[in-house]
Amino acid sequence: MILHTLNASPSSAAFDDCVGVVRSGDAVVLMGDGVYAALAGTKAWSEMQARGAQVYLLGCDATAAGVTEFAGGATFIDMDGFVALTERYPRQQAWY
Amino acid sequence: MAHSGKKTILLVLRHCPYGSSLAKASVDIALATAAFNQAIDLLFLGDGVLQLMPDQDSRALGMKNVGRQLASLPLYDINHVYVDAEAVTRYSVDLSKAPVATRALDQEQLHRLMVGYDHLLGL
Amino acid sequence: MIYSLLVLSSPVSGQGSRTAAEFARSVLARGHSIRRVFFLDAGTLASSGISVFAQDETDPVHLWVALAEQHAVELVICISSALKYGMLDQAEANRHERPGPTINPVFAVAGLGQLVDACAHSDRLITFGG
Repeated sequence: MILHTLNASPSSAAFDDCVGVVRSGDAVVLMGDGVYAALAGTKAWSEMQARGAQVYLLGCDATAAGVTEFAGGATFIDMDGFVALTERYPRQQAWY
Repeated sequence: MAHSGKKTILLVLRHCPYGSSLAKASVDIALATAAFNQAIDLLFLGDGVLQLMPDQDSRALGMKNVGRQLASLPLYDINHVYVDAEAVTRYSVDLSKAPVATRALDQEQLHRLMVGYDHLLGL
Repeated sequence: MIYSLLVLSSPVSGQGSRTAAEFARSVLARGHSIRRVFFLDAGTLASSGISVFAQDETDPVHLWVALAEQHAVELVICISSALKYGMLDQAEANRHERPGPTINPVFAVAGLGQLVDACAHSDRLITFGG
């Protein structure tokens, strides 16, 4: 089980690399420019969802980006929730 | 170090050798980890496979030759070097001429590899 | 649990450094301890004692300094990266004959051995980049 953090937009190599590795049983935290991967109806969101992992949005970054109204189904978390995820997942892979 | 804490580490390398400072930093991390007798393995993924291009010559840039630094890894007992097979194919990297011996993995195998480590360092 | 952080994100570009500092604060709030925060590459700019941030924006350097001052979090900047970015303590400023120090004194300058130590002794190693 891996906790992936994605801090780059859907057009980045980081997005492609991340999506290639994510598997069901993993979790993904979208942060920084990564929040745009949660935009409903986009190819990026379909690709992300297709991996079968739980996808989370770092709330403050999503709010800054104006993504909150358009998020496809990712779960919003605050920083406390982010730490809670790192408690559950023994290893984290940072994609940026 | 005061206690003999041991954790297994996989260094996941995703950047080209000369366009950012991360490639050199990651080799330094690998060598430092080995120098302190800690286990470290390397995975070159995505653009990171370009660090394995043969015939790198960075002299005109005045930068350290990343390929040559990687070639020294076995001297420090860093022998488990993995590479993203899809990226190797995409960039037509000739692994037989790479500075260090590698094992190519498909995406399923990459995930299975990564879950086997205590820590993943993404550079 | 024991956490260590590896911070590559620049405090000047993007949210990464701020996010890492807020993450560290939440780690402590949830009852865990932090062995070390290790700054590498552009991350070392978080140690700047001379950067000036706009009054109406969060000062990311201050977030880290507050963690050190309020919670004794150990903040270490990688010496080879720090030198390139001009992040010098008094010893390095003297050694290299540069004006200095340029870093806030709550930060320590050290080699990669401190990162290796952090990895060896932490239950969680969280990397912040980009």
